[in-house]
Amino acid sequence: MIEIKNVSKSYVKNQKSVDSLNLEIKDGEIFGFLGPNGAGKTTTIRMITGILEPDGGDILVDGYSIRSNPIEAKKRFGFVPDSPDIFLKLKGIEYLNFLAEIYDVPIEESQERIEKLTKKFEIYDNLNNTIESYSHGMRQKIVICGALISNPKNWILDEPMTGLDPKSSFDLKEMMREHTKNGNAVFFSTHILDVAERLCDRVGIINKGKLVSVGTFEEMKAKFKEETSLEELFLEITEDD
Amino acid sequence: MIKTILLTIVFLKTSLQRMQSRYYENAKKNKKIRRILYFILFVIIAGIIGFFSSNMIDVLEQSHQETTFVGLVLFLVLILTIIQSVFSSVNMLYFTKDTEYILPLPLKPYQIIIARTNVIIIVQYFIEIIVGLIPLIVYGFKMNCGPMFYAPVLITLILLPILPTVLLSLIVMILMSFSKITKNKNKFQLFTTFLVFAITIAFSIAMVKIDEQSISDEQLAQMLTKANGMIELIKGYFPTLKYSINAILSNNIFTMILEFARVIGITAIAYAVYALLSQKLYFKGLVGSLFSGENKKKKKKIKTATKRKGVGRRYVAKEFKTLLRNPVYLVQCVLPAILLPILCIALVLISFDEETINEIMKALSTVNANGVILLTIIGITQFFSMVVYISITAISRDGKNAIFMKYIPVPLYKQYIYKTIPNIVMNLFSIIIVLTVSEYLLKTSILDLIVVFVISMIMNIAQSFLMLLIDLKRPKLQWDSEYAVVKQNFNLIFPMIFSIISIGLLILYAKTTQIISVYIVLTMIAAIYLLITVLVNVYLYKRQNELAGKIE
Repeated sequence: MIEIKNVSKSYVKNQKSVDSLNLEIKDGEIFGFLGPNGAGKTTTIRMITGILEPDGGDILVDGYSIRSNPIEAKKRFGFVPDSPDIFLKLKGIEYLNFLAEIYDVPIEESQERIEKLTKKFEIYDNLNNTIESYSHGMRQKIVICGALISNPKNWILDEPMTGLDPKSSFDLKEMMREHTKNGNAVFFSTHILDVAERLCDRVGIINKGKLVSVGTFEEMKAKFKEETSLEELFLEITEDD
Repeated sequence: MIKTILLTIVFLKTSLQRMQSRYYENAKKNKKIRRILYFILFVIIAGIIGFFSSNMIDVLEQSHQETTFVGLVLFLVLILTIIQSVFSSVNMLYFTKDTEYILPLPLKPYQIIIARTNVIIIVQYFIEIIVGLIPLIVYGFKMNCGPMFYAPVLITLILLPILPTVLLSLIVMILMSFSKITKNKNKFQLFTTFLVFAITIAFSIAMVKIDEQSISDEQLAQMLTKANGMIELIKGYFPTLKYSINAILSNNIFTMILEFARVIGITAIAYAVYALLSQKLYFKGLVGSLFSGENKKKKKKIKTATKRKGVGRRYVAKEFKTLLRNPVYLVQCVLPAILLPILCIALVLISFDEETINEIMKALSTVNANGVILLTIIGITQFFSMVVYISITAISRDGKNAIFMKYIPVPLYKQYIYKTIPNIVMNLFSIIIVLTVSEYLLKTSILDLIVVFVISMIMNIAQSFLMLLIDLKRPKLQWDSEYAVVKQNFNLIFPMIFSIISIGLLILYAKTTQIISVYIVLTMIAAIYLLITVLVNVYLYKRQNELAGKIE
């Protein structure tokens, strides 16, 4: 579970990139975080993961504060950043073993997970190559494998579908569903509204740093009293604001 | 011609462009303060170098060899030019990212390569101001020289770096034209750098041998005893060096013009040959370097299970792997720690035989030789540590990936320590090389060697942590090519400042060894640097989260 409590962040004086954000991602749900470019999605994700220090408020991951107990909080999530160009000079297998060590995954478990995940994403045969030789999609896959290697309870993914081929994208969505069925939480940002509409249990829409709408797709439609798609709702909500 | 000049300006601007983070962009006030700080820094460096130069001129003057100083300065400029060219020409000429934008433009190969070479030369002028101009101004001031000294000094400093840069770039261009034969860009880039390095050493040996053959033992003895005779030993090292030294030290304007005509003639011929050959060769290597990717490896059994090594060891191993597998980082950050001491020592050894070195040592030795020698060895280790750029780029090298440090469940302070270790290890190699050569040349006692080793290591650890702290405070995370991190990064001046200040302190201490035991002096040095290490570590520990604030 991830609890975002009254969190704000400004880069420039008097201009809040995230403004008094309150949000709860419950166990067992896939939460889609939507918003136009520059709305504050990545800033929010970076605050949840400890990359950015909020100006105010707090964020709890399974009850551990990212501000006061960062190590325990960080052990409880796996994170996929927006750019997969990470440690390009390491071989795929070296990267995964490095993360397994960092997250204290026992050898047998990590071996099993590496094989299972990389075979599922069809990058197993490339594990002995350096990440720089991977295509964009393959890099995205290895980063996802790295984030999931410790089998974290909470998944936090920033634009995870970017660069993935249709099959891998499908597999990832299936994995998200399976993960939440087991009582875990998935929080991800996306621009692909179709994916959000079909995959997410709840969505939140952020615009100009403020959470302008949150709930299930059905609740949103009821609120706007319109029989429409999420895309149209999104455009209406973000335009009005 | 105009296109070449325009291209030079564009390349130069891109090359010198400051990489600024979001924090700096909005801070005009900071900009002003930083400018003032840089100026103060420059004054301090100039002061220290001026002080060294003045001392050295005094020592040489005692044995009537003061003109040797001019030769030594130009020799140093030349060596630095060669080293700089070896390490930067492959990258600057062939592995810059803008190549993809430049190639489609209707430009001739010679225009591009000359513009790029001009940039390498111009960047060298900045180094020359510190290493060449300041010492020679001090010399001119102390020797009451007039315009007949300063004018040729300026012309020489402008002309001197051109020939070695052009020659080395020519070698690079010829080697790179074979780049199509390989599919592994990284390995070829590295191989070329090594080959250029080997050719440089071979060339130096050849030049010295030719020079040696032309000087008999009798003449050598005369040179060492005759007033200002020692400078003759330096002149033969490089074709244009002799003419440049003659021009500076000549009192006759016609001799000066004649000597400069020779320098300009040789340089112009080399430049013309270079430009002509580039028409045929440059694009060959350039296209090769652009399109060769990493070769697909043969299928090997994948070891998914590896022994648990512990986070620390695995993290340090990751740091080493990313350093060693990246040709730019390997060449710019790691190799200088090993190659620079070898290159400098090889140049000294081949330039002067054992007898000459002993003579020079005798001529320069002071009353308390042992103390001075020990401090000199430590000073040399400090000199070489200024080119080890691992700690000072430890955070910046990760670029946008540096955020990784912040979302993994490993305390930041521990990660800072892991990131410092490679710098300490590479400096250790450099220290071992210097100590080995010292033992061979000076027959230092084992006890003294151990003492020198311990002190050098303490200074090494202090420097490594301090440089990491500076990189944390001023990280350069927004960059397009790795080369920018290790070349267009103002932070790289800090290892140099640290080394210069340390060497300055060692010189001051050397003077005190006449009054107190060298071992007491060494204990004092150890205490100072241990204190620096402790203070920096306490600061890193207490402020570990705030220090990572600029990583985002």
